[in-house]
Amino acid sequence: MTHQGKSAVTFIAIGLLIYAGLYLAAERLMYRNGHSNPFFKITMATRKDFEWVILGASHAMPLDFSDFNNQMQDQTGLKIINLASPGTGPLYNRFVLEAFVKEHSVRNVLYIADSFAFYSRVWNEDRFSDSKMIRTTPLTRNTTELLWHHSTSDHVDPRSLLDYLTGFSKINNRDRFQKDVWEGELQFDRVYRSSASAIKSRVSYLFPSGDREAALARYIAQFGKLLDTASTQNVRVVVIKMPVPAAFRSALPNEQAFDQALRGALAARGIDLQDFSGELDEPQFYFDTDHLNRAGVSELFARYLKALLMKPGSLPPSS
Amino acid sequence: MIFTSLEFFIFLPLTLLVFALVGARWRCAWLLVASWVFYGAGHPVYLVYLGSVTIVALVLGWGVERAAGGRRVALLTVGIVGLAGSLIAFKYFDFAAGEFEKLITATLPGRSVSVPRLGITSPAGYSFIAFSALSYLIDIYRRSVSGEQRAVNVALYLAFFPKLLAGPIERAPAFFSQLSNRFSCGSTDIEPALQLIAWGLFKKVVIADNLAPLVDRNFAIAAFAAPLELLSSVYFFAFQIYCDFSGYTDIAIGVALLFGVRLMDNFRRPYLSVSTAEFWGERWHISLAHWFRDYLYIPLGGSRAGPLRHYFNVMLVFLVSGLWHAGLGYGVGWSFLIWGALNGTYQWIGLATRGLWRRLGEGIPAVRDSTWLTILRTLLTFHLIAFAWIFFRAKSIGDALTVIRKIAVNLTEFPALIFRYPFTAEHAMGASLIALLLAVEVLDQRRSIAQRLAAAPVPVRWAIYYLVIFGLLILGRWQAKEFIYMRF
Repeated sequence: MTHQGKSAVTFIAIGLLIYAGLYLAAERLMYRNGHSNPFFKITMATRKDFEWVILGASHAMPLDFSDFNNQMQDQTGLKIINLASPGTGPLYNRFVLEAFVKEHSVRNVLYIADSFAFYSRVWNEDRFSDSKMIRTTPLTRNTTELLWHHSTSDHVDPRSLLDYLTGFSKINNRDRFQKDVWEGELQFDRVYRSSASAIKSRVSYLFPSGDREAALARYIAQFGKLLDTASTQNVRVVVIKMPVPAAFRSALPNEQAFDQALRGALAARGIDLQDFSGELDEPQFYFDTDHLNRAGVSELFARYLKALLMKPGSLPPSS
Repeated sequence: MIFTSLEFFIFLPLTLLVFALVGARWRCAWLLVASWVFYGAGHPVYLVYLGSVTIVALVLGWGVERAAGGRRVALLTVGIVGLAGSLIAFKYFDFAAGEFEKLITATLPGRSVSVPRLGITSPAGYSFIAFSALSYLIDIYRRSVSGEQRAVNVALYLAFFPKLLAGPIERAPAFFSQLSNRFSCGSTDIEPALQLIAWGLFKKVVIADNLAPLVDRNFAIAAFAAPLELLSSVYFFAFQIYCDFSGYTDIAIGVALLFGVRLMDNFRRPYLSVSTAEFWGERWHISLAHWFRDYLYIPLGGSRAGPLRHYFNVMLVFLVSGLWHAGLGYGVGWSFLIWGALNGTYQWIGLATRGLWRRLGEGIPAVRDSTWLTILRTLLTFHLIAFAWIFFRAKSIGDALTVIRKIAVNLTEFPALIFRYPFTAEHAMGASLIALLLAVEVLDQRRSIAQRLAAAPVPVRWAIYYLVIFGLLILGRWQAKEFIYMRF
């Protein structure tokens, strides 16, 4: 080997060592600041068995804000883990459920369905590539295998796996010293003042342009795969729609088509859709255009959710 | 494909590998294919535009070379009108149609017209391709280059991927002479090439893209932003656009060097200029300045057609430059014309006071050679340029005036406010990165960084390399999509 070649190899070897050190430091920082990422919760969960797993997008997240999940557990005596994450559709939630059942067991899944999450790849395949998600996901063999599987069979960008394995997003994380808290959690106690323009911009953000009919068919099929995953694990699934203010609800495009398609997919498996979207219309129950605040989730829990969680069939035989 | 994408980091080594493996006679063809892949990746339709310009350049170049007299002029005119016309149509037709409709509505109450729109967005880097094709045709007309080049050479001249999207606007004679050298890239070129690529990436993804969010945020809400925020945004933007564009150029020159092609310098530490004439003539976007000089300013008579014509020519070049910059992602608006006119006015003032300064310098040499005067002139030049950038960056003239008014009204309060203002980590990081850049540029001005590195002991050199590389990994914003000047 020439002198120049030796120098190049040495330079690269030292560089790789430094990279490995940075990777390790970034992973440790992630564990120190982890909080809301579903894979972080799966890795850190001390229990093996749960009665309920909550899945869905950001509308499901307030049920885990502050200490609300603990309150629900105290009041029902059930073990509940909330694995919802912002802007995630059925494909990403299947990924989460698959990862969860590899390490834990659960009797029921509460899936909180949002129409927007079934209308675009932005909320499904593209979520795998979101550096904000990848940088807060602990490096585990199970997640790697699942990510590989989704990359090869579900049109997920293979760069997500590359990013995950190389730790690039963790090393490049500009919020590396901040706790991984979704911005909505900081507003949990806020009361929202309704604004038509805010609703309009929120709806246009949630529903990017594209062939909605084809997308709905695709993600309903993905949702079917999620239900099948649950079924093979003997897990019962309950699907609900969360309350949203009337002004927001009426601005949602193609909601009827979504309801129809969802009900069809559920009926084929003997599952009911419990639609609470028309409940809790008052603005005092929301911290922004469409997310329940503390008063909202408390009210929802007292009126419907507690009974739903404690319904016979969801409890272990001994209880 | 852009230089900061993962695709490019796969594309480049593969292209280099094949380039090294194929025989010298196939390298041109291989680089052409690779360049088309680079340009067409993600936007295959771009190849139609590039192909059309290539055919126009080839056919008309061949025609201009062989024709004589009026036919020769006619062919060149067809080429200029066609290429410049397509550029104007892509960039301004829809804007001009809208302005015309507004004018009719405003001047003839009750009347309105509806002008159909082209609805075509100019493909990335189209201006650079069109300018290269124009210079090729004009150089053939001037007999600076033969019009009977191999088709693959002409196609590669227009498509060569390192310079394709944002220059430098390389001249055909210099490019063709290197093709005949059969791409001699010595092992001694590799380290300087990689240095340029790494530093270019650092300027783009670490400096420019970390300054961008604050600038974007404040210019988007100019009417509501705090004056000190606007002031810092004006400073930050001056460095953002410099690092974005010169970062691209450094990467382009470094990548081209890996293939044995030496592209011309495009930036020489512009913010260390002591006059706006030096800034525009010798240090900023040099390839464009030379293009305007050789194909517009000099043909118009330059400085030799009398003082009035000289002043007119200078202003015309800056107005055309202003128009050319319109549509750079900050909207196609009249503010670009103001930007051009403002810089033209600086040149006028410079020309008008040139004799006075010369006499003063000759009379008091100690003042002329004073470091403090140099610093003062550098600061003044920077502020004049930064002031003009406001019109460049703002979405409209109104927005630009709002920024200027808010800063001007509060100017006297800034010194006291600076110590009380709740600056964020984003401000601190931006200021630190600018300080780092300036320190590097001042060192480079005295003795080139490349020379300093070559003379440094290996551990020091490597430590600097690792700092840049890991700076890129830790601080870089790799999610940003484009280089600003690609939108030309």
